Amino acid sequence: MLQATNLTKKYGDFTALNGLNLSINSGDIFCLLGANGAGKSTTINLFLNFIEPSGGQATINSMDVKQYPKETKQLLSYIPENLMLYPNLTGLENLDFFCGLGGKRYSKEQLEELLAQSGLQPDFIHQRVSSYSKGMRQKVGIALARARGAGVLLLDEPTSGLDPKASNEFSELLLDMKEKGVATLMATHDLFRAKDTGTHIGIMKEGVLIEQFKSEDVSFQDLEKLYLKHMHN
Amino acid sequence: MYLLIIKQFIRSKAVILTTILILVLGLISIFIGNQFLVKQEKAIAEVTRHQQEHIERNVSWIDSDMGLLLYYLRFALINTPDNLTALSIGQRDVNSGIQSVTIRTLEGQKYDTDLNNPTNLQSGNLDFGFVIIYLFPLLVIAFTYDLLSEEKEKGTWRLVAIQSQSVRGYLIKKLSVRAALLYLALFVLFAIAILKLSLPINEVLMAFMALSILYLTFWLALSFWIVSLQRNSSFNLLTLLSLWVALAILLPASVNNFVANQYPVPEALSTMVKQRDGYHEKWDMEQEVTMNKFFAHYPEYQKYPLPEGNFSWLWYYAMQQMGDDESRQQSEAMRKKIMQRERASSAVALFVPTMHTQLIFHDLARSSLDDHLKFLDQTSAFHEKMRLYFYPKIFENASISDVDWKQFKPEYFADKPDINWARSMFPLLLFIIGFALWSIINLKKLKVT
Repeated sequence: MLQATNLTKKYGDFTALNGLNLSINSGDIFCLLGANGAGKSTTINLFLNFIEPSGGQATINSMDVKQYPKETKQLLSYIPENLMLYPNLTGLENLDFFCGLGGKRYSKEQLEELLAQSGLQPDFIHQRVSSYSKGMRQKVGIALARARGAGVLLLDEPTSGLDPKASNEFSELLLDMKEKGVATLMATHDLFRAKDTGTHIGIMKEGVLIEQFKSEDVSFQDLEKLYLKHMHN
Repeated sequence: MYLLIIKQFIRSKAVILTTILILVLGLISIFIGNQFLVKQEKAIAEVTRHQQEHIERNVSWIDSDMGLLLYYLRFALINTPDNLTALSIGQRDVNSGIQSVTIRTLEGQKYDTDLNNPTNLQSGNLDFGFVIIYLFPLLVIAFTYDLLSEEKEKGTWRLVAIQSQSVRGYLIKKLSVRAALLYLALFVLFAIAILKLSLPINEVLMAFMALSILYLTFWLALSFWIVSLQRNSSFNLLTLLSLWVALAILLPASVNNFVANQYPVPEALSTMVKQRDGYHEKWDMEQEVTMNKFFAHYPEYQKYPLPEGNFSWLWYYAMQQMGDDESRQQSEAMRKKIMQRERASSAVALFVPTMHTQLIFHDLARSSLDDHLKFLDQTSAFHEKMRLYFYPKIFENASISDVDWKQFKPEYFADKPDINWARSMFPLLLFIIGFALWSIINLKKLKVT
């Protein structure tokens, strides 16, 4: 469903991503680990078509995101590290607004249900987003992904800064979406979350995907050792 | 969708405050316009009453000398303000709208004006035209400068870019919501002005409103063009404020200065000197010199013999006539120069939307220099009419009681503004289309990161 073929991004002499080959199928959660500047966000930005590749291609459902920007955009949802919503609107209004931007209309009850399914406390649904915590905003993001019915979910360090409870709730929502066949690419620093939630794990360093394996094939301790080994070499 | 964009916009306290502020300023401007109209109406009523009393009083005192009576009698010509003048007072506060003239030398009387408080003149009028031309653009800037940059700076733009089917369409929707609020504020103020000032719903008002809408649209287009450059909020704000200063203050002042230097009017002084000399030096000349010139001007009065002696009203009014006749060349040259200034300003204004709008507002509201020049022309014609009526009576020393003095009520001048829709609207339309197309081109390369 999500495929990177020799995907490369250069900024002048600097290579941010170097020949990435990656394949994520329906129901997979692929966690990209790596230090800052390893190329994780660049990979996500390339799939989002926010930046143009210097070489190779990123495809969603076999469609090149550069050639078919509108079609591929319809297939994906995106939650950044710090999901920013309109503070003057309530959570429900934000959800309604962003669904409307994508041409989808839902009734008030449906929107309330989507937010409730995403774990947002009912008391907050009709409160302005200016009073929301980061975790609550991320839940609106999940509700939005559900509302879009997108088959692909791109997450850029979504649990960064969340408390363990909120982080755990977020993982449960991801697993729920996995069950629905959503293909997820998540950039993260959180080894525990990657092992716990991901079906596949990749380790990136200096723009190169140096390791990729199924998460069930490694224990958490082995993952930690492997990660640290690559980071220190 | 639109409802949510509206909610998102109007829930901002700054938006509510600035909208209330412009509405309050608009209301004040309408009340100032109303005060101007009331003052004018009061002055007109006063002049009508005063002229009747003035004639009756003088006729009762001077009952046998027509020449002496006409030395004192004044006849008023009133440049009736349209109610629309209240929206754009223009030069009406410095140029008198009432000319009360004797049949003596006209030239010196034409430029008599009301007494004004110079402090008030310095600050100018906060009329509705001022609110539209100077203050509404600031509101346009406040509403639109961060149309896109705010989204990028606050982090919502990435989500919008992914969710939206057309980001350009979304930006245009945002702009249209802001434009709708601005137009609504403008319409509310126009509605209040129509009711308060009893403005007739006619072509002139329609032209005034259409120009106001186009002017706001020009600022919206200009602002959107700056937004389309995709720079940060502070850059957008500073650039737009600089453009406002340039378009609203610097360029009009520079153009006025340039035009004044390009077309100096030394005739303003020489006309005054000539008309004074034209009359006063005749006291030291042979009467025949004056009379020859007078009869050359009015051959029909040659039939009146010059009475013998040192003084006669025929000679006196002939001397007065010479004040006008001998300063005519300077007076016409001055008029020509003033018209040249007006035309040059109008031509340059085609490229300066603020100036253009202001000049057209003045034209429509009949508060322009052009309108005042037409009034002065009408004053000359009115003065000539009175002279031609009274000259034979003076020269024959007709009986004062034979004249129906009640017929001399103030006369009115009310020119209908010529509405040139193409010239009024086309320059602004061109700017709007130009900036809109340029913005669309810029937004084809819409950056997300």
